[in-house]
Amino acid sequence: MDFYNIVFYLFALITVVSAAFVVTTKNVIHSAFFLLFTFFGVAGIYVLLGADFIAVVQIMVYVGGILILLLFGVMLTNKITDVEIRTGTIHLLPAAIGVGVFMGALIAVMVWTNWKSVPTEIPLTTTKTLGNLLITDYVLIFELLGILLLIALIGAASIARRDKE
Amino acid sequence: MKQYFKDTWDGIWTVLIGMKITFKHLFTPAVTIQYPDVKVKLPDRVRNRLYVNIDDCIGCDQCSRACPVSCIEIETVKGVPGEDLGTTSNGKKKALWVTKFNIDFAKCCYCQLCVFPCPTECIYMTDIYEFSEYDRNNFVYNFSALTKEEINQKKTNFEKFQAEKEAQKAAAAAKPKTDTPPAAPN
Amino acid sequence: MYQYFYNLLGNEIAATLITAAVPLVNVLLVALIGVYLERKVSAHMQDRLGPMRTGWHGVFQTVADFIKMLQKEDAVSTEIDKKLYNIAPVLVFTGTFAAYAAIPFSSQLIGSEAEVGIFYVVAISSLVVAGILMAGWSSNNKYSLLGAMRSAAQIVSYEIPTAIVILSMVMLTGTLSLDKFSQMQTAYFWNWNIFGGAELGLVKFLLIPFMVVGFIIVFISTLAEVNRTPFDIPEAESELVAGYFTEYCGMKWAMFMLSEYGNMFAVSAIVTILFFGGYQSPVGYVGDLVGADWMIPLEQGFWFLAKGWFFIFVQMWLRWTLPRLRVDQLMSLCWKYLIPYAFVNLIIIGFISLI
Repeated sequence: MDFYNIVFYLFALITVVSAAFVVTTKNVIHSAFFLLFTFFGVAGIYVLLGADFIAVVQIMVYVGGILILLLFGVMLTNKITDVEIRTGTIHLLPAAIGVGVFMGALIAVMVWTNWKSVPTEIPLTTTKTLGNLLITDYVLIFELLGILLLIALIGAASIARRDKE
Repeated sequence: MKQYFKDTWDGIWTVLIGMKITFKHLFTPAVTIQYPDVKVKLPDRVRNRLYVNIDDCIGCDQCSRACPVSCIEIETVKGVPGEDLGTTSNGKKKALWVTKFNIDFAKCCYCQLCVFPCPTECIYMTDIYEFSEYDRNNFVYNFSALTKEEINQKKTNFEKFQAEKEAQKAAAAAKPKTDTPPAAPN
Repeated sequence: MYQYFYNLLGNEIAATLITAAVPLVNVLLVALIGVYLERKVSAHMQDRLGPMRTGWHGVFQTVADFIKMLQKEDAVSTEIDKKLYNIAPVLVFTGTFAAYAAIPFSSQLIGSEAEVGIFYVVAISSLVVAGILMAGWSSNNKYSLLGAMRSAAQIVSYEIPTAIVILSMVMLTGTLSLDKFSQMQTAYFWNWNIFGGAELGLVKFLLIPFMVVGFIIVFISTLAEVNRTPFDIPEAESELVAGYFTEYCGMKWAMFMLSEYGNMFAVSAIVTILFFGGYQSPVGYVGDLVGADWMIPLEQGFWFLAKGWFFIFVQMWLRWTLPRLRVDQLMSLCWKYLIPYAFVNLIIIGFISLI
């Protein structure tokens, strides 16, 4: 077995196992921390795919931003000394149906898509190409995202200032 | 706006001034004294461990009574007449054997109150301050110069003397009783 | 270095492990010497002597401390969240050590020549935040939790000015790779970025004041990111015992300490690479003079460590100069001063680089 294959399966294992724990564990804080390992494993897989920039963005945005925000939220709303918020299972049947349909669709797509499995040269760096694409082909989406973030920022500021009045 | 820039500038500038001061102090010689290697000269009249010059002690118990924490224990035995107890350095005649003179330095508060009442100035403060111990019992210092045998001897001497005196007294008291005949039943 | 060992051993894994051992040794040495230096610097700045009794001027003090720590009983509270409690110190140290992967110690000793170097370093440090939150929460102690919350809030907000200044530097140099950053500031100190970079001309002189501003911003905010005084509110001794690692002892505590000193060197290295020429010598190389090529990487390593240690010294110097900031002062410094300045700086540097 190739060394890179071992690394891939390691990251895949980390991702899948920790994701399973995120869903099954009863403790909210624990699932938040397991999410950390899931994100990390996904970042590792991105690296193996040669998408170094995406991997770093994954860590920066999800671990450094969203996960911390999540933990803050859980820790500040939870009763700190003992965990009272617990995840439970409700509406088992509709959930099972929904998940089954979604999974079936995914598998169908995976099976019927005509995957190009030609091994290509992994580019040494993706940053420059990504930047070029963002400013040329996808500039509209890029700008829209910028506006969306600006709206979110203004909204947050206005919510934060409203109490004063 | 002007205030904002001024604040920023003040912030940076005052930090630099502070850094200059600390940097100067980096090269000023340290004031630390390397204690066990270098010792500070103690001032006069410093109060440290007590010492008792037992040769001068007359066993008057005044120091023990002056002590606010009762750390001095003194026991004395009277000398029998004819016994020579010697004199103190300032010429006082001793009358008591000091059989026990213990000072518990674990209790001592170094107040020096015991020093002043001493008529012969035999208890005084020394400049020894390093006398830590592993066992608390070792803090009890015994200043009495007499050995156990001597103490026992003095005690028995005095008891004998006392007993003799008692006996004499008893004899003296008994004599008139025996001498005078019982009152005749007149 | 990696290439050399790869040729020597013919095995990628072995060569990688050996190359990775160098930063690890560096982190250990930084902690070992750093703790000693910290105590000495603090002592002399307060006109004291510091440790004097273990070895000459107490040089073996940290070694003695370390041996003591190894022997310590691992006292653990019963009410903790055991799993997270045990993972947290490892995670914190992982976050610290992972940053070293992209830091070039010399032109021949770089863990990874990844093109995203600086971005990676900024991103991976967020593992430290997660670890700190984990430690604080799992300790089940109010001081730990408060310290962790403060720490996370502080690191997350101070990442913004750091990122903006780094962005302006990236804009100017056109690369994310830390190695290329260092290479561009070729030997001799007037080529360093703080003096406007290697290219001569009007731009170089126009850039100098904004580079100084950028340096001050990035130095302050990285100081805050490693939780050192004056930004040490997460572990403020007089308020929070020891912050997020109150409940830790022995080797687990040592991991946090190791991570703190490792972080100090890492941010010093980042500042060095961004503004002070990285591993480049300020005065040229002896190897060039005598014609010995093999000497140059060693000299580069020396200069890199020297610069790193200088900034560690400055951090200690600041620690013993300034009092601790309050939480509101900390936040207002970040959001009201550093971030606006960093943004204006970014825009101005952008305009200058267009000239």
